[in-house]
Amino acid sequence: MPILRDGELDIITHSAEQTRRLGMRLGKLLQAGDVICLAGDMGAGKTVFSAGIGVGWGAVTPLTSPTFNLVHVHTREKDNQRLHHLDCYRLRGPADAESIGLDDILNGQGPVIVEWPEHIENVLPRQRLWIELRILEPTRRNLIFDATGERYQELLRKFRQSTFGV
Amino acid sequence: MTIILGIETSCDETAAAVVQDGKTIISNVVASQIDLHAAYGGVFPEVASRAHVEAIGVVGEQAVRDAGLTFDRIDAIAVTRGPGLVGSLLVGVNYAKGLALATGKPLLGINHLEGHVYSLWLTQPVREIVFPVLVLIVSGGHTELLLMTGHGEYERLGGTLDDAAGEAFDKVGRILGLPFPGGPNIEQAAQQGNPTAFEFPRARTDESYDFSFSGLKTAVMREVTVMPSAAARRRERGAEKHAVLRSDISVNDAAASFQKALVDALVEKTARAAKAYNVTEILMAGGVSANTALRNAMRAATDLPVRYPPLNLCTDNAAMIAAAGYYRYIAGLRDDLDMDVRPNWPLNNETYGAPAGVTAQS
Repeated sequence: MPILRDGELDIITHSAEQTRRLGMRLGKLLQAGDVICLAGDMGAGKTVFSAGIGVGWGAVTPLTSPTFNLVHVHTREKDNQRLHHLDCYRLRGPADAESIGLDDILNGQGPVIVEWPEHIENVLPRQRLWIELRILEPTRRNLIFDATGERYQELLRKFRQSTFGV
Repeated sequence: MTIILGIETSCDETAAAVVQDGKTIISNVVASQIDLHAAYGGVFPEVASRAHVEAIGVVGEQAVRDAGLTFDRIDAIAVTRGPGLVGSLLVGVNYAKGLALATGKPLLGINHLEGHVYSLWLTQPVREIVFPVLVLIVSGGHTELLLMTGHGEYERLGGTLDDAAGEAFDKVGRILGLPFPGGPNIEQAAQQGNPTAFEFPRARTDESYDFSFSGLKTAVMREVTVMPSAAARRRERGAEKHAVLRSDISVNDAAASFQKALVDALVEKTARAAKAYNVTEILMAGGVSANTALRNAMRAATDLPVRYPPLNLCTDNAAMIAAAGYYRYIAGLRDDLDMDVRPNWPLNNETYGAPAGVTAQS
């Protein structure tokens, strides 16, 4: 577990299942307003990682690919938080972001997962947890976590603790 | 005689249709945006809603005029309320509300997936449908296996855990460098290809009736693409990190093998569910049900009748919304003018509120 600097974390997973379990650990730590950006090519495991986040967070319905609808909204039983799961592959800039109600989603009462965040980077908040997933080999993936802002550095510290015990 | 005007704008087709008694199409107008979106390789939400706004008035009026009617001869207005793109749904729902207000006709909010189911009723002059039936909805956004025990009664047996079937077609089409939309283009390429050239994984065939196509998509990518070397990636940081199609691969073989793997998964679970629930026939609907390989494989896998809509009713249309609306209309159901859109609306027994004696399941 190389620590590049405070606010960064570099992990290699060896299977889709392991990627999903990492997502679960992160999902348990999420608070309302958290913005998690998942960047990476098709097949890198963004939706697998998201599905894990959903399980950890406690979503009633499983997180599936939001590609078609662009936005999926999930609820959980313990409170009335709503988790928004976005796919921005087909968004190009502020007008598209507005058409899916991004402002309301970001000001909403729950965490937000953004796939293909690079397509709307200029309208995303500067403070966020950015995770890049890279395809190394057929089943191995490299996840690079980059936290910007105090809340996300704290989130990453807790995540590291729950994952590696340090 | 009951006449329903249907309106559909959930994705990239602006559509209106007039249907009599839930069975007979009197008019069916579809303004497709496919050429508009092909340039982008997918439906872009802002482009889609703007195109809907421009088309909806003309399309609505044409549907009524083609039917040889006027708006006051319509008994009710049925409109897709969800699931779909929120900006697109709003255009249709607001137009329908305006019509309802202006004409005083009742308004019915229809689930788009239920619309796909009722596209099968538009084939009815041939033979009546007898419940229970198994319904497989396969489209760009949905893969749903439903047990239908009566009008408006759906038990959801399974669905996709990740990518929808049509989404897998679109994404694999993109990997193979084929034009958008992926479905018809992959089918065409597959006709020239060898479906056994690649051994792509079938999704886990466990006990459940759920589907998974994300692993299949990744497997196709693994076989047919190469990643640029790490050195090349460093040189052009961020610029070329995408996989590139291998030049020594037959796109037709890859398309045929992918299509076979996907069709096998759909057919295996559907045929098994049909047996387990003792249904009278299998109904397929949605854009992917237009796929000839799927139709042939489904017919080969079961002794039951397999019904699917004619090609023009597989894709999004408003006749199916009017047909679904008819059964809600004759059941005495109505919606208020303050009805909102439901972009993530599932189809199950709680879609329109739980019927008596049915308990919610998570």
